Amino acid sequence: MKDLKKAKNVYESIKIPEELNSTVNETINRKYVGKKSSFWKRRNIISGVLTTCLAMSFLFVFLVNTNKSFAVSVSTIPVVNQIAKLVTVQNLIEEDDTKLVKANIPAIQNTGNTDLEKRINYEIMEKMNEVLEEANKRAKEYKDAVIETGGTEEDYHPILINIDYEMKYSGDDLVSFLINKCETLASAYTEQFIYNVDLETGKELNLRDVLGDNYKQIIDNEVYKQIEERKKNSDNIYFEKGEGGFEGIEDEYQNFYINENRKVVVVFYKYEIAPGYMGIQEFEIPNDILV
Amino acid sequence: MAEDAKEILINYIKENENKFYRIAYSYTGQRDAALDVVQEAIIKALENIEKLRRREFIRTWFYRILINEALTYLKKNKKYVSLEYENIDDENFENFENLSTSSIDIYKSIQKLNDKIRMIIILRYFENLKIEEIAQITKLNVNTVKSRLYKGLKEIKISIEGRK
Repeated sequence: MKDLKKAKNVYESIKIPEELNSTVNETINRKYVGKKSSFWKRRNIISGVLTTCLAMSFLFVFLVNTNKSFAVSVSTIPVVNQIAKLVTVQNLIEEDDTKLVKANIPAIQNTGNTDLEKRINYEIMEKMNEVLEEANKRAKEYKDAVIETGGTEEDYHPILINIDYEMKYSGDDLVSFLINKCETLASAYTEQFIYNVDLETGKELNLRDVLGDNYKQIIDNEVYKQIEERKKNSDNIYFEKGEGGFEGIEDEYQNFYINENRKVVVVFYKYEIAPGYMGIQEFEIPNDILV
Repeated sequence: MAEDAKEILINYIKENENKFYRIAYSYTGQRDAALDVVQEAIIKALENIEKLRRREFIRTWFYRILINEALTYLKKNKKYVSLEYENIDDENFENFENLSTSSIDIYKSIQKLNDKIRMIIILRYFENLKIEEIAQITKLNVNTVKSRLYKGLKEIKISIEGRK
């Protein structure tokens, strides 16, 4: 078609920006060489339209299996609220020229098992300190990279780091909650720290513990089914198999939490099985849990 | 083996970066957005290279990632991006003064097509991909690609004739 040849001329005249080559090389180098540093320089986005929040969340799930006999005995006294809850123990706002940190760090209370509470709360605190330290380091590296590549102080926008928590299920024998970390202008690496802790035995609970030996089959079938269901809406795009799409969970340590219906919810991070705009993908598994 | 695949991917990206940029630009109509789309696609490809089982599919595989990124961008920014405002001027196009008005009109009419049809026209006529390759990239069957292609061509024709 002659007309399309003409249009092709226009297409081929699209001007290639000078920085394309350096952007490409930089991205490859950061990504390739610096795999461990979990950091790469993003182009300095000036356009206001492009404030894409690369929100990388990860979650902590503690399944707290409290001492059942104790819980039952106190639950007969209706006025006592023995349901485990989360309280903010550290409310942190930190601001400097590289970053703005807002962190609500939770601790768990009222589980009826103080030793394990202590251990879990200590673990959360340790992990959060580590996460914040890394984020601080990344913010500094990022700023240095901007300055090194000829940017000015004004070109640099402080990185926003936000930590918050959410109770997913709280019953008299089980607690499930997650901690979200959102970092804008950060790495594309998702960090995951998952603890499934049985408070009574101290053992970490995994999918095998909550769904039995058939956990993989149960979850795979359900996830495939729900993906097909969601794809009926053409706004929902999932990566295909072989291209980063869902191909069955790897093992019993796949991320999950327990929701208010006492069901397992399997979680996939942004980009894990679908394009970024689809966000975090969650799938509720209808089977009853075994704990 | 894995490193090897990575090398191949990196070479492929470096050799074709201009192409990727043009596709991204023709999608987003914005220079900065196009650079972002290319960058995101590279990151995603490097992160997922282990999942590419057969090397001969590297091209369709990468195009798919790139196009997904572009569509993602459009979806996210739908309320801000309007291709009507895309500037076809000497800032964004080479040899702008030599481009004929009619060719710019045709280009514009392609830009006005809906995203899915536009993608197929771009891949087929600007990037010279085979229908079968486009089917692989879009995960559509060959007949659907063909019918969208014809639909697109028809719409272009109508819009050109409407202008005459």
